[in-house]
Amino acid sequence: MRKVIALAIREYVASVKTKGFIIGLVLAPLMMGGSILAFALLKDRVDTTDRTMAIIDHSGVMEAYLIEAAENYNENEILDEETGKKIKPAYYFEGIAPTENMPDLRLQLSDQIRDGELFAFLEIGAEVVHPGEDEELKRIHYHAKNAAMDDLRSWLNWPINNQLRRLRLEDAGIQESGIPDLFYWVNVDGLGLITVDDSGDIEDAKRASEIEALLVPIIIMMLMFMMIMMTVPGMLQSVMEEKTQRIAEVLLGSIKPFQFMLGKLLGGLAVSFTSISVYLVAGIGTVRYMGFSEYFPFHILPWFVTYMLLAVIMFGAMSASLGATCSEAKDAQSLSFPAMLPVFFPMFIYFFVAKEPLSTFATVCSLIPPFTPLLMLLRQATPEQIPLWQPIAGLIGVLAYTILSVWMGGRLFRVAILMQGTPPKLSNILRWAIKG
Amino acid sequence: MDAITLTKVTKTFGTTTAVNDLSLKVPKGSVYGFIGPNGSGKTTTLRMILNIFYPDSGNIQFPDFPNGAGVSDRIGYMPEERGIYTRMKVADLLKFMAALKGKWKIGAEIDQWLKRLDLDSWANRKVETLSKGMSQKVQFLATIVARPNIVILDEPFSGLDPVNSEAIREIILELQKDGATVIFSTHDMNVAERMCDFIFMIHKGKKVLDGTLSSIQDEYGTDTVRLRAEGGVKHLQDLAQVEKVIDFGQEQQLKTAPGCDHRQLLTQILERTTVLSFDVIKPSLNDIFIRIAGPTAGEKNYA
Repeated sequence: MRKVIALAIREYVASVKTKGFIIGLVLAPLMMGGSILAFALLKDRVDTTDRTMAIIDHSGVMEAYLIEAAENYNENEILDEETGKKIKPAYYFEGIAPTENMPDLRLQLSDQIRDGELFAFLEIGAEVVHPGEDEELKRIHYHAKNAAMDDLRSWLNWPINNQLRRLRLEDAGIQESGIPDLFYWVNVDGLGLITVDDSGDIEDAKRASEIEALLVPIIIMMLMFMMIMMTVPGMLQSVMEEKTQRIAEVLLGSIKPFQFMLGKLLGGLAVSFTSISVYLVAGIGTVRYMGFSEYFPFHILPWFVTYMLLAVIMFGAMSASLGATCSEAKDAQSLSFPAMLPVFFPMFIYFFVAKEPLSTFATVCSLIPPFTPLLMLLRQATPEQIPLWQPIAGLIGVLAYTILSVWMGGRLFRVAILMQGTPPKLSNILRWAIKG
Repeated sequence: MDAITLTKVTKTFGTTTAVNDLSLKVPKGSVYGFIGPNGSGKTTTLRMILNIFYPDSGNIQFPDFPNGAGVSDRIGYMPEERGIYTRMKVADLLKFMAALKGKWKIGAEIDQWLKRLDLDSWANRKVETLSKGMSQKVQFLATIVARPNIVILDEPFSGLDPVNSEAIREIILELQKDGATVIFSTHDMNVAERMCDFIFMIHKGKKVLDGTLSSIQDEYGTDTVRLRAEGGVKHLQDLAQVEKVIDFGQEQQLKTAPGCDHRQLLTQILERTTVLSFDVIKPSLNDIFIRIAGPTAGEKNYA
């Protein structure tokens, strides 16, 4: 065991003493924190260039109201109340009379948008107030360069629907002045569940927050992903180098192949624990300092550490043994992606899992052992109560899969580490791993 | 007492038999030379001794370690294709290699070794900054730093200049004096002749020579004549009782047929030219090697 420790220490020192590791240790959280900060800072930052929109109103009852609504908006909403600084674009609407040749008019307006003279044009159907059978006549079309992601289009929904309701009520003989709160909009507030504190008193429910529901779980999962990525891909590369530079043969004169792999895994684990210690201390300190402690699910820390330990061993064993099959750098390049696929897959689906952590899809995916460390942790970090049997079942699955990975990885490693010139084809890899 | 015994060891890779039914006894405290052409099975044999490869059949025993436990700690191995961590500092690398053999606190010994091979000023430099010769010496030190009982060196002198070769040779013989058993493979027959107590040759996976140099030479008898004659090789064509003539320019070597009458041979040559010198000698290891492994090798010469 002392030999394994000697190898693990060498691996650890070789990793943490590099400039890359130190820079990565500092840069990774800075980049992650920076991107979150940038998102927070930039999400309200909009282009304040004024927008001019043409309105073709076939109904004849919407144009004037929309122009008035835009004027109200320009007066009241585009300036910051405290600083007086312009924070939103002003909207200027102009009416265009419909013509006989509408396609031609639409093309002309589109060209004006392309030339930058207009920002958008809106075409309101003739039967928009009282929709009839004809689908075209009851539609409102908004044309712009990027109509899908457009604040003006979103804003238009509000005055258009208010005006439509008002007109419909008027036609029904009901005056808005008689019902002053007719258009008073009530939002539904999201709250968590009622809980009991340590002294047995009932506590008020916490306001449900997107930070707690999505951002924190995703950050925690990303942290785990980062820990795996800081260690595991490097193992494939370093084993490949040890093989191609014939260091492996020297080492195998002193230690068994399994001890060799184990030393690398322990070294990798130590690197991960160093990184996570730094991140957790810094992260928790920051969370406390910024007053976000209530959002941080401290109860998942033991799970985090356990899953990280198993994930590094599980993926590390696969990665190191695949590294042993490579005889040259291009072999390692072609194997890097498949080796890391089980780590990447959860990144493709994490949003759906975080959004609905109790769905069957999320549950099943998080119980598939290679995905469990990332996805189960993600689910546990959400405010939802995950049934306790699921993390336990996940842990047992991961443990079994880790043992299998180390066992098969060890066999593959032993066979492949001194084999030169045999390409790492899937058939070879499977044969070596199964038959030994 | 033997340090290592191999009994009927066979190792195959796919359809190729790398080592075939090999039996060998390496006496304790001896310097044993492994020779053989490229791809003959030398490295495979060494790797099996090191337990890097497992034999398909037969067994390898270390009488000093009856159950095999701890034997890997007592063997130092330097492979032919050198491999060391180039980004480690020289002294750290040697400490690491010693730790892999179970020796942890040997900083003072490392300093002595480095001084001996003129590497002391490089102790805290990374291996990648060393010249090829220097890194060869570091690799050699990494092999012996833990003072192993058995030292296995695959081509230890290749790539070394004469000064460094001499330094390494001295250390090898010193290790032997201290009781270590040394096995090394080499393509340099002069080195094998001068240094080895025993020589083992493997060819196409089979043992073809094994014994002391003189016993091997005795097997081949006095079938070689070293000759200096006026006019050189042009007067030595088609001589009776001569199987082969090797021309070295100033000197020629004749391989004579079994039962050759050297007096008759000399008379035959004297009839053609003036003979300056005529020595009946035993074949050199180099000659024997070529006879066994050369393109015109005949099975009759195999031991």
